[in-house]
Amino acid sequence: MMVMIERLLLFLLFLLGFWGILAKQNIIKKIISLNLINSAVVILFVLEGSRIGNKAPILEEGIAGIVDPIPQALMLTAIVIGVCVTALSLALAYRLYKAAGTFNIEDIRKEVSRK
Amino acid sequence: MSPEGLAFAPVLLPLLGAAIVFLAKAFFRGRGAVIVEYTGVFTGLYLPWLALIFLFPVVINGSAVTGVIGHWNSGVGISYRFDGLAWMVNVLGYTLGGAAWLHSLSSGPKGPSFSAIFLIQTAALGATIMTADLFNLFVSLEVLGISSYILVSSSEKPGAALASFSYLMVSSTAMVFFLLGLFGLYRITGSLSYEGIAAGLGHLDGNALATAVISLSLLVGAIAIRVAVMPLYGWLPDAHALAPHAVSAVLSGVLIKTPLFALSRILILFPIGKEAGQLMSYAGAATALLAVIIALSQKDVKRLLAYHSISQIGYIVCTWGAAVAVGIGTKAGTLLMAAAFLHALFHAVFKGLLFLSIGSSVDAAGERDVYKLRGAVSILKRSGDKAAIAFFGFLVGALSISAIPPFNGFTSKTAMTYLLKYYGQYGSVLYWILTIAGAGTAASFIKLSRIYWPDKEKISTVFPERTDSGPVLPGVIAIIFLSVLCILGGIFTPLIFKTVTALLSGKSLTMGDGYSFFSTGNLLKSLYTAGAGALVFLLATGNAGSALLKKVRERPRSFQGLFVSYALAAAAMAGWLLYHAAP
Repeated sequence: MMVMIERLLLFLLFLLGFWGILAKQNIIKKIISLNLINSAVVILFVLEGSRIGNKAPILEEGIAGIVDPIPQALMLTAIVIGVCVTALSLALAYRLYKAAGTFNIEDIRKEVSRK
Repeated sequence: MSPEGLAFAPVLLPLLGAAIVFLAKAFFRGRGAVIVEYTGVFTGLYLPWLALIFLFPVVINGSAVTGVIGHWNSGVGISYRFDGLAWMVNVLGYTLGGAAWLHSLSSGPKGPSFSAIFLIQTAALGATIMTADLFNLFVSLEVLGISSYILVSSSEKPGAALASFSYLMVSSTAMVFFLLGLFGLYRITGSLSYEGIAAGLGHLDGNALATAVISLSLLVGAIAIRVAVMPLYGWLPDAHALAPHAVSAVLSGVLIKTPLFALSRILILFPIGKEAGQLMSYAGAATALLAVIIALSQKDVKRLLAYHSISQIGYIVCTWGAAVAVGIGTKAGTLLMAAAFLHALFHAVFKGLLFLSIGSSVDAAGERDVYKLRGAVSILKRSGDKAAIAFFGFLVGALSISAIPPFNGFTSKTAMTYLLKYYGQYGSVLYWILTIAGAGTAASFIKLSRIYWPDKEKISTVFPERTDSGPVLPGVIAIIFLSVLCILGGIFTPLIFKTVTALLSGKSLTMGDGYSFFSTGNLLKSLYTAGAGALVFLLATGNAGSALLKKVRERPRSFQGLFVSYALAAAAMAGWLLYHAAP
């Protein structure tokens, strides 16, 4: 039961982010939403990786019941990539704001095509 | 050096070069900075050729350099595989990358920051094609993506930042879905290396099979965005049209194809991969035709070229998908794959050439509208390109893409259509779709060539003098180099085709008994297609034609559309695969 609730919450978090990317006009909100769906997937990986055992994954003699270490290792990388993408997208948002004077994507599109 | 060490040179040398270039930015000024920067670029873009030359005898007989990076256990470390396919994609990348960087010295952007990102992108290309690990593929694709967002936005135009932002959002979102697909596969197979996944997929029951299908659809969908297959093309025209010319050349020539060939490594792991290839093949044919119609309607010269990239990648995806569908290991599959790669290589050369030569011309003129710019030849001469080399470069590129013999596009297009008709499912339908798209291609390049026509009606206003004062020579050398490759590629196609098949399968194959690339039938077909193209051009310039094309050009496009089409495409792929996987 607990498992299903956790998954359902993650799914809701993911949907929230996807809705934000699609429906929000403000590009800063779009970037936040991108972070949301990224986090949802990261938590999903870590959650599912922790299902197998409950010990820290140190490969020594006599230690059993460790969690699956691979999802954690992967997610560290994915988080780093997520930070890079966020930083770059914020830099682009700054340039767009300087060019168009607004964060609204439709207004930016109009402003850019006018120039 | 051992082949194991050499196989990493195409990835590690550009990274080393990028580090050297950053040193130039951090510690040197003036002349010293330029020398250090050029040393870095030489290390990263031109030195890998040595490694590729030494690796050729290793991969030519179909064998491959495989292993795990850092000699870790195979379950923990990252597996890699450097085979004939990886070798060829590297050749494609370094040919065009070297020429495009040279051209950037003339047309900009200049400076160590640009060179370093360019080198990192080249390294990511090499990593994408030689990885045999799903998570590493994710990382490589992300590095490739991030470097190309930066390169697109390195243009000064305000639209470039918006194009880069749209590309970033849609591509990053798709990569999150890619991660979900990767998670699904890891859960049912317990492995991330291609070998491990293939072994784990061998024994699946109903529920796990559905997971496998959905995971595969998510992976294919995310990669299809990078390849810009219909309906996932929406980000490309802006990004490729607004990027600096050298970047446009690499994006269109190399970047959209590498993920496609990397995808073929994944699809062969799946029992249902063939069906996925089949659907991609149909999507490719549709892409080839639809994109050329939109291309014909464009008025911005670089946007017109960008839509042609989508159209040409449609040809490649169509043939590639047919190769996956008949089985890559079979003779028919090898031939189709070889033809797809041949066109990918030739397209890289002629599209790179077109972007560079058109780029030089519109820079000299300061005008990009195909309806306004006239007399570009004399403008070029005035701007310092005394012999109007850029015009001849355009001519070679346009004749190549319009499949006029003996240029390279002619042989690769006839090979693809011939093999599709012979081996593909609904092959003759695909044959006709691609042939009609060929006529459209010829028509839109007749339209594009008008910018070089003499300015009789004085449409052109007086253009401003060339503003950026980059030297003309490097750009001219890049254009001559690619033009020569276009012609040599066409003439030596039989030899190149045999080598490609040998690299793919270990045995050199020919198109079939008695098939000749330059047979009378093929030459006549090229003539008819070009004639039909001229007819289409006349129709398109008529009143009804222009009104229709204006509608196509001004069709509504939105940010949301990109995402909706992604969701639809992934769902369509999952539905198609589930339908075919059901017992």
